[in-house]
Amino acid sequence: MSTTIDPPVATTAPPVQHTGRFGAVLNAVAPFAKIGMIVGGVLSVLGAFLPWVTFVLNEGAYPERASLNMFVEPFGVSGFRLHITLLGIAAIVIALLTVPAKHRIVRGLGIGVAAVALLNGIWITVEGGGLGAITAADGTIAFGAIVALIGGLVTVLAATSGGLEARPEWEWELPWWVEWILLLVIFALVLLLVAEVLTSGGQGGVVNPYAGVVFLSLLAALSGALSALSASGLLTWVGVVSERHRVFSVVVLLLCALALPFTGAGTEYWMTVASNIGVYAATAIGLNIVVGLAGLLDLGYVAFLGIGAFTAANLSGAAASAVGIHLPFLLVMVISAVVAGIFGAIVGSPTLRVRGDYLAIVTLAFGEIFVRSAQNNIAGLTGGANAIPNIPPVGVGGFQFNDSITIGALRLPSGVMYYVAIVLLVAFVMLVFGNLKNSRLGRAWIAIREDEDAASAMGIRTGPIKILAFLIGAMLAGLAGAFFAHKTAVVAYDSFRFLESVTLLAAVILGGMGTIPGAVLGASILFVLPEKLREFADYRLLLFGLALILIMRFRPQGIIADKHRKAELADDDPEDVAREGPGALPTEVK
Amino acid sequence: MAFLEVRDLVVAYGAIQAVRGVSFDVEQGQIVSLIGSNGAGKTTTLRTLSGLLRPVSGTISFDGEQIQKQPAHSILSRGMAHSPEGRRLFARMTVEENLRLGAYTRKDEEGIAKDMQRVYDLFPVLGERRGNKAGLFSGGEQQMLAIGRALMSRPKLLMLDEPSMGLSPIMTQLIFDTVKELRSEGTTVLLVEQNALAALGLSDRAYVIDLGRTTLSGTGHELLADPRVQEAYLGEGVGAE
Amino acid sequence: MSTFLSQIANGLMFGSLIALIAIGYTMVYGIITLINFAHGEIFMVGAYGGLATLTYWVPTAVVAQWYFALPIALVAGALVAMLVAIAMERFAYRPLRNAPRLAPLITALGVSVALQEAVRVFYPGATAAIPFPPLFLDGAFVIPIGDGVVIRYTGVLLIVVSLALAFALERFVERTRLGRAMRATSQDRDVARLMGIDPDRVIVLTFAIGGALAGVAGVLYGSYLNNINIDMGFQNGIFAFTAAVLGGIGNIRGAVVGGLVIGLVRALGGQYLPGGTAYDYVWIFVVLIIVLVFRPQGFFGESERVRA
Repeated sequence: MSTTIDPPVATTAPPVQHTGRFGAVLNAVAPFAKIGMIVGGVLSVLGAFLPWVTFVLNEGAYPERASLNMFVEPFGVSGFRLHITLLGIAAIVIALLTVPAKHRIVRGLGIGVAAVALLNGIWITVEGGGLGAITAADGTIAFGAIVALIGGLVTVLAATSGGLEARPEWEWELPWWVEWILLLVIFALVLLLVAEVLTSGGQGGVVNPYAGVVFLSLLAALSGALSALSASGLLTWVGVVSERHRVFSVVVLLLCALALPFTGAGTEYWMTVASNIGVYAATAIGLNIVVGLAGLLDLGYVAFLGIGAFTAANLSGAAASAVGIHLPFLLVMVISAVVAGIFGAIVGSPTLRVRGDYLAIVTLAFGEIFVRSAQNNIAGLTGGANAIPNIPPVGVGGFQFNDSITIGALRLPSGVMYYVAIVLLVAFVMLVFGNLKNSRLGRAWIAIREDEDAASAMGIRTGPIKILAFLIGAMLAGLAGAFFAHKTAVVAYDSFRFLESVTLLAAVILGGMGTIPGAVLGASILFVLPEKLREFADYRLLLFGLALILIMRFRPQGIIADKHRKAELADDDPEDVAREGPGALPTEVK
Repeated sequence: MAFLEVRDLVVAYGAIQAVRGVSFDVEQGQIVSLIGSNGAGKTTTLRTLSGLLRPVSGTISFDGEQIQKQPAHSILSRGMAHSPEGRRLFARMTVEENLRLGAYTRKDEEGIAKDMQRVYDLFPVLGERRGNKAGLFSGGEQQMLAIGRALMSRPKLLMLDEPSMGLSPIMTQLIFDTVKELRSEGTTVLLVEQNALAALGLSDRAYVIDLGRTTLSGTGHELLADPRVQEAYLGEGVGAE
Repeated sequence: MSTFLSQIANGLMFGSLIALIAIGYTMVYGIITLINFAHGEIFMVGAYGGLATLTYWVPTAVVAQWYFALPIALVAGALVAMLVAIAMERFAYRPLRNAPRLAPLITALGVSVALQEAVRVFYPGATAAIPFPPLFLDGAFVIPIGDGVVIRYTGVLLIVVSLALAFALERFVERTRLGRAMRATSQDRDVARLMGIDPDRVIVLTFAIGGALAGVAGVLYGSYLNNINIDMGFQNGIFAFTAAVLGGIGNIRGAVVGGLVIGLVRALGGQYLPGGTAYDYVWIFVVLIIVLVFRPQGFFGESERVRA
């Protein structure tokens, strides 16, 4: 007789049971989670108040923040020691309160403390010449860094052992005007924070031995605070609220961006940096259409920026230009965009026959052909190795965009008009991108990205639509190129090499592929970091390469993940898992 | 303890559970079949047994050892050979190369030559065309080669996934006769089949897998006689024959 | 006529170098369908590894004798390149084995940038081109056709070593047990595992062989051009990839033929096409695009290999 087999009864596991490499340690600590978090917080604060070095380290004239004097003083709390104090106190307070996702929040704070302590400890050790800097010597003890680091680690350990909760989802809905005010305040705070980050450790350009580490330390403290906020679910909630008041948020954000010149970052130096960021951000958004939406990898994309720039340079009336006519800037922008768009369609046309990796190589080949041709001053249009110099600035009437502006007592730095113009340009490009993404065309691109054959079977004419992605993306890059030509006043072929294409791609990926703010965020990070970390300038590209590897390893979906995006980078396609075997399964233990 | 013992196997592709509790035993020297409709989880089960997939939970013990955490390439040397669904030959290699790959883990040249001759005796057509590329063969010939390839490792347990798929009735009969012959030579066989009638007819024991679970078990003849099996799996099968 | 023949000779020399690099591309792509952008940098690292050995670890008296210097440099270059290639596979690519297509490609770009920069930052003097000692008989012989075709001995060495290695490798892949395992893994990785083949080991082997060949190519390149720089990897890497595609990716013989074709296109294009040598690289890229668009499976490739 055949027998029926009953399905097995599922057993439930106890609520907090840690497994994995540190499971045993965490389980042992778990009963003391609360005490542990408080002890960690207290240690952190204590560490902040202890002396951090046994000597005075002060290299040259620079405001007190960069002087290492204060490291010696007990109780002298400012700069990074203030950050540690605040994070530590927050950890203690939250450990005592009943807050949702409390352990996750405290863990974020602990990570912040540990990162700040470690960073400054290492740096002081290196600068002070050996471990003497963080031990007892000359009658002074300086265990600040070590105590704070231990405090941070204890906090993290205790919080983790208490069991990390899921992020809570808040569904508060306030009266519209309260939410408006809230958003206004939050965005204003973000603006101030950005200005603070940019100016931390002093203005760039000044040779300042402390700037880099002060900046990194601030970043570490901020990321601790932000991960705590994110753990509390508040960041998500703010996102939901701003989504609810979409238009309002966009307008306020735009105003905030325009208000940057009025903050501490309102210097000529930062205006120039910000304008460059804007150029690359606009280009990266164009690339985001091609790669992020349509899923077509382009490795020669910077050529379109170059084509736009050379077109504009030739129509600028610059002495070295081959064409020698001078057209109004707005018209030049349109022409540059059209020319770049035509080349975009040409470069995109092989997509009719070539797919995937091979397409990436075709675009790379086009990019190299462009660089080579420009280097050889093809048809006299690019100036070759001499570049096209002395491109006149954009002017309206007698006013030129690189003049400074004085409004009453307020004097805005030169370059501010370029900044305003690029902010508007980026806003425009974002608008184009956002509208395209949610249009029929955008959905067709996404369909092609997810599965080209299926898209084709659904009646999408994939060929023209893919070329259109290249065309539109290239036009946006061309616009940015025209701006670039006038802003920098020189256009040379070596601004458009393969490495620049890779940087653009990295900006798109880092920010989050297919998302609207992603490319801007990515471009900002990739251009601000080298400015702030000039003392590590020699290692810049090395770190960039390593960062690319690490991002792909640990967060391939970028900082802002696209909710709708699955197939390309965030993988949970069962087909793939099945094909590739055990490695992709969540239970993999190897 | 049975030769192969599978208990409460759960396998998932991402969030989707394809196998949600499969348990069965295979005794040495038997032919055991897993039958069930398309998508029931039979192939997933076999792929998990041979280490291509990692189970979420459950145990697989073979010859007294738990193997559910072993990587696929170490399973073969324990004596389990798997001839996958769709045959999956190395199409651009010759018959001989395919067979040599089947014996990849072995180093005894003499034994390999002897076993290769045995495969050629079992399937003379392979011997005649040993220098030809496998991709040029008919479905039945490819199935012979797939079984031959799996035999080259001298397995204690041979796992065959849908050996009759796409084959003519005559060819199917030939393959199943071979399977019986292998049993008589002492090879244990685990068979996954949609052709329930043919499979049950030669099985010492069989299990029905439905929606990722083993729901019925018995000897081949018991299941053939079971009205539930007849209704669900044989009705159509008989009609189609 | 003698100009033409000289260019043919130059093309074959450069081409056999490219072929040696192309083999690494084609093998890696054949097995894990990854365009290993960083392979060009492995070639570069091999050249620097060979140079470092000669400069810092071998007495000058030994280096002065080419019959000592050449094998030492070749082995050292191959070894360094191989180790870097293995490390790259282990730490950069293997964790992404099951990741979607784009991720490893971008990782490869990152590895490429990082390797190039690591050499620039850490190798003494690598910010500029560094002279490379001659490793073979200096001088040349002349074939008396027309005004005479001058053939450098180093060039002959280049061709002989490259073709010999390519031939040996093809025998290895076709005839040996491990070679069979490589082909099996490239055709169907899952079934290869069912045969008891550990794909990770096969993949490491592939990277090691490709790396070693690239390292040899790097040293030969240095001794042929008498100086090396950190940019040599990227450009020649792209040419080599072009060669691999041209010959039909996954096919060793194809990579060799593709390499030779690339060499000839460059030499003859630079001589006879408009723009001269300033545009010779452009012609290679034009060939690449035409091939990818009209015959993506290459000369020897089977169309089923072409990836969507």
